[in-house]
Amino acid sequence: MASYDSDKVAQIHRELASHLPSDPALRVKALESLLVEKGMVDPAAVDALVELYSEEIGPKRGAKVVARAWVDPAFKARLLEDASAAIDDFGYLGHATGHLKAVENTDQVHNLVVCTLCSCYPFALLGMSPAWYKANAYRARAVRDPRGVLAEFGVSLDDEVEIRVWDSTAELRYLVLPERPAGSEGLEEEALAALVTRNTMIGTAVCRVPGDAGAS
Amino acid sequence: MDGVHDLGGREGFGPIEVDEFERNFNTDWEARMWGVNGAMAQDRSWTLDWWRHVRELIAPNDYLTRPYFDQWMQIYAALMVDSGIATVKELARGRSDGSRPDLDPPLKAEDVLEATRKTARFDRPVDRAPAFEVGDRVVTRSHGHSGHTRLPRYAMGRPGVIQASHGAHVFPDLKARGKKHAEPLYSVAFQAADLWPEAAGRRDRVFLDLWESYLER
Repeated sequence: MASYDSDKVAQIHRELASHLPSDPALRVKALESLLVEKGMVDPAAVDALVELYSEEIGPKRGAKVVARAWVDPAFKARLLEDASAAIDDFGYLGHATGHLKAVENTDQVHNLVVCTLCSCYPFALLGMSPAWYKANAYRARAVRDPRGVLAEFGVSLDDEVEIRVWDSTAELRYLVLPERPAGSEGLEEEALAALVTRNTMIGTAVCRVPGDAGAS
Repeated sequence: MDGVHDLGGREGFGPIEVDEFERNFNTDWEARMWGVNGAMAQDRSWTLDWWRHVRELIAPNDYLTRPYFDQWMQIYAALMVDSGIATVKELARGRSDGSRPDLDPPLKAEDVLEATRKTARFDRPVDRAPAFEVGDRVVTRSHGHSGHTRLPRYAMGRPGVIQASHGAHVFPDLKARGKKHAEPLYSVAFQAADLWPEAAGRRDRVFLDLWESYLER
């Protein structure tokens, strides 16, 4: 039973920090070994989860959802209305997607997603979050200097474009619906999905058709 | 809690280290930690918000410097010691002293696929109407408390506008102490100029999802 006692846990953290192995790989190994001995984890289940998140669950899921929204106006309307229900069509509902909200980029609005207090992320739809998303610099700066952050990602927006930064402070999780790029008019849904990268769905990149000079 | 985890708007962290490579795991140990997180038996008293608060309580230097999934290791170690499931000595050695906790059994490999399709919902029925409507002007409270909260420091005491109403959601400040309570949750829009001194004249906005008790008229 948890104590819910902040002071007690802060003291436990200090004790752990001075007794655990100094290498994170060894610390995690010690934790897993102990859990196995205590009957608290099945290593085969850990293997299976790692495999699922290495092979199957990743940004390709989100990309398929975005491409569908680009070609199917009715689906796009549903996605913007209730994104959790819309991704359930694909069987993508899962970890941290129960209250998913899609936010649409246009030529007037650019959306950017962050979690300043921890690193909340829609895992079941986008897979593991990138290292920069969890880093102090991104968490600190995205809400205060979004144009500066975007410039570091190679995205420059006109001054007239409104940036909307979504700080994931509750259990809502955000999916940026990027703009369909110029030059993609003739492409099929599958080819469109290939244009959608992980960063475009967080808001730190825009979709481009390779070789299209008009993309900004 | 007024801790170093509350990073929004803090200055001096320098440029973002942009990594274009879209791999899922950088190292094996990070992958193992992710897998352990999803597969291990958990004490039912470990609410999501208690878990987050336990991370916030990591010593400031460690919080700011240790890798993300290394902090997850530290969270589970602290949760286990706090709940009396393991000792610091056991965690340091990676060897059990023989005690086995009385917990629900861990996830089985054959149930992993089904488990990853489970979605937690945090909305709850409540028998009162929300105090605010979309379009209402609100001001966030200017003082927090030393426990877990989801009102960041940079958005305290600031004027905003209710952008959307989401019904009642589990209230993290109390859930972090094991107490059940739900209250109306809103998306609140803040003008960048109302948050940051250098943002005067910018039309950008920042949106936060905030519970009713964080807000005043």
